[in-house]
Amino acid sequence: MLGPGTRAGILAEMADGETSGTETAVAADAAAGALAYLTEMSPDLRGGAILATDGTVLAASGQADRWREDVATLFAVADRAGEEPVEQLHVGTEQGEVFALRHEGLAAAVVADRFALASLLFFDMRSILRDLAAGGDGRGRDAT
Amino acid sequence: MPPKPHRVLLDRVSGYADEAAAYMRRRRLARRPFARLYYSGGRASDHAADSVAGGELFVAAGRLIEVAGKRPKA
Repeated sequence: MLGPGTRAGILAEMADGETSGTETAVAADAAAGALAYLTEMSPDLRGGAILATDGTVLAASGQADRWREDVATLFAVADRAGEEPVEQLHVGTEQGEVFALRHEGLAAAVVADRFALASLLFFDMRSILRDLAAGGDGRGRDAT
Repeated sequence: MPPKPHRVLLDRVSGYADEAAAYMRRRRLARRPFARLYYSGGRASDHAADSVAGGELFVAAGRLIEVAGKRPKA
């Protein structure tokens, strides 16, 4: 049910209806810089990943393959839970909290300690994805 | 007439016990696992851990938590 063949299209079902093409415009180094910036801004963050529409990992802390697979699974499960694709999700467990967001043709997922400030984290994630999609470096200024 | 000393002590202990019980209640509520999905347009839905979707979400989230590992201590 969650075979590799089905995973490829999971992130393509972007909630905002963005078409593919964004992923090609976003450089991996810009995404890596954006992820580092997000980690720097959020002291509760343990790790995260930024992915393109097709599920390609643009930047990740740790094992990129695992992030790709597990983020795709998470979005697939979340999409199945409702009648429309989710835009963002927040799961809190005893071990930590997971935040995932799809925005402007990109996706981001992060893991934070318990009781992280959800709205602030989602705001930062959204800002970074918006900036990356616009060709910036994810820090709110144009890439040079 | 001033209250008897042991009454003051008892009241104080009862007060602390009430505070502790309230704290434990709040902590239990706050630590309860949750899965919340947000859709475009601002709609959101909660999924309990004992539901099918909730269970799957917790398993998937658990895998991500495992991948992220522990935060390095400063």
